[in-house]
Amino acid sequence: MESEELLQTLGNKYSAAILEATNEPRSAQELSDELGIPIATCYRRIDELTEHGLLELHDNVLSDDRRRIKVYRRNVDAVRVEFDETLTVDIAERSEVTDKLDEAWETLFGSPATSTG
Amino acid sequence: MSSIELTKTGVEGLDDILNGGVVKHSTTLISGNPGAGKSILGLQYIYNGVELFDEKGIFLTFEENRDDLRQAAESIGFDNWQRYVEDGRIRVYDKQVLLRENDFGAAIDILLEALDNDDYERLVLDSLTMFQLFFESEREQRTYLLKFTDILRENGLTTLMTNEQGTVFPETDIGLESFLTDGNIFLLQTPTDSGVNRYVWVAKMRKQNIDSDIFPVEITQGGLTVHENASAFSMIGEDGSAFG
Repeated sequence: MESEELLQTLGNKYSAAILEATNEPRSAQELSDELGIPIATCYRRIDELTEHGLLELHDNVLSDDRRRIKVYRRNVDAVRVEFDETLTVDIAERSEVTDKLDEAWETLFGSPATSTG
Repeated sequence: MSSIELTKTGVEGLDDILNGGVVKHSTTLISGNPGAGKSILGLQYIYNGVELFDEKGIFLTFEENRDDLRQAAESIGFDNWQRYVEDGRIRVYDKQVLLRENDFGAAIDILLEALDNDDYERLVLDSLTMFQLFFESEREQRTYLLKFTDILRENGLTTLMTNEQGTVFPETDIGLESFLTDGNIFLLQTPTDSGVNRYVWVAKMRKQNIDSDIFPVEITQGGLTVHENASAFSMIGEDGSAFG
């Protein structure tokens, strides 16, 4: 059942830390370095979280050595679990409006996460 | 800091008490209760921009559709309003356009697209009160009001935002918005036996010395007129209280 899978994904080691860190766009390598996650596990967690719509591919930015790197940002602000009758997991998605204003603002004034691009 | 560029509102009397106009590229709140003349002032600012100063303007309204707006403009004698809208010197984004998709995200897209155009120098947002419904918490409202005013400034716009004010006397109910924008002008009205007395109070104007007295206002053909000479009007209502 989907809700349980979602909880399972959330409960996996490092998942919560990755979501916490991806308020701003982060690459897999950055997450691995900053959070001390083995790189293969880091990629696996990113895939799982993305599959469940908790994380999203935000952009492809250009690194210092001119490689394209994928940066991810969390897609949710909150997760609510209800045990009443059937188990349900509500995901509070990031507001589209604030996202768009953030993006417009960052385009004009820049931000650390996209300055390499 | 010696010379600050100003944008004239073209409203008779108002530019004088503002010491010349509003600061260019700033955002000024126009606060007041319903019927105080906030939207008319907005119309006038945009219309005068084209008519008197050859500056193009954008009018964003969540409150009315474009026909209502045209009627309001023409009813106060802005006969060329529709012509300017048709030739693009005034751009109107009305509630039908902004709320068409039934989701605020789409409205923001339209908004941001409208701003991304160097041709326009003046903008009116009617109203900030509606715009703030896009956001979930007060903290979010403040954060994004600041970001939005940054975006407006960076796009070279000088902005008036109308702001619904519930109380008659503003001093008791100054919202945080007032601290987040560059200026704040209150439009006040108080009932009298014969109708209503109107006043304007420039509560704040960053970077400017302004006259902080309260001045009488009239709304007639041509829109608002501010009377600099307060003694020409009675500030005090019949019952002896200034603000009911």
